[in-house]
Amino acid sequence: MASEELFSETPVFSEELPSGNENLRHVLEEVETETEIAHSEEDPDKVKSAEQTEIPNETKSITENNSATKEKPAEKSNEPRLTHLPLTRIRNLMKLDPDLHIATLEGVFAVTKATEMFIDSLAKESFVHTNQAKKKTVQKRDVDMAIASVDSLMFLEGAMNF
Amino acid sequence: MVERIEDLNLPAAVVARLIKEALPPSANVSKEARAAIARAASVFVIYLTASSTAVARKKNHKAITAQHILEALDQLEFESFVAPLNEDLENYRKVIKEKKDSKASSKKDDTMEVDDAEPEQDDE
Repeated sequence: MASEELFSETPVFSEELPSGNENLRHVLEEVETETEIAHSEEDPDKVKSAEQTEIPNETKSITENNSATKEKPAEKSNEPRLTHLPLTRIRNLMKLDPDLHIATLEGVFAVTKATEMFIDSLAKESFVHTNQAKKKTVQKRDVDMAIASVDSLMFLEGAMNF
Repeated sequence: MVERIEDLNLPAAVVARLIKEALPPSANVSKEARAAIARAASVFVIYLTASSTAVARKKNHKAITAQHILEALDQLEFESFVAPLNEDLENYRKVIKEKKDSKASSKKDDTMEVDDAEPEQDDE
């Protein structure tokens, strides 16, 4: 019961914000992920030389970018949006793993995309059971049945009440 | 680390949209089912990460790369994700490369992407 409540209290940013802001949030998160992870991985010499030559330029471009998106969110939509789920949130979940030291950006991106595919496939598997019951609305029971009947979803059994 | 317990949840609106896109337009999804799928997705991230770190450890690699994740997906019987994920990764690399080409500043994107030819150096 308690965990149920925690879940329902999840802040739903994107529902309350206009799409422009959602884009902005996404961009900001990407920027954050990029810088943080890149710093931890880059070979020190490279970082040094990059900092010397390029940092002023970069800070400038980041600030410019931010203010530009704030004023004209439409401009941002020219850039293709690669993920639906926020990379930062996925990275935070990944960091729960005590064995994880460093994840490359590509790695975080790959997990994010895989998770989107996972949601897609779990929704479809659940809907099979909704259909079998001749219903139109997917119920939690259908999700549970999908988990019980698909081999690759076995890992979820008993792991749904954290 | 995770500061708030909500950080363990994926954004409900995004998950809801992904579910909706997966199903025929006539289908509905109950609130409980949406919450269950979102929770399953969080567990999936942890599960996939654990398997990927195991793959990396076996190879004595410290950093988790996309390649480890692809291998982990294959081991976990999500091999159907591998081909589309490879396409996504190619697309991702292309976008990162374009960004890098357009902005000389974004050199430090990804260790896998490091391009040793530095054309900007010769302006002296």
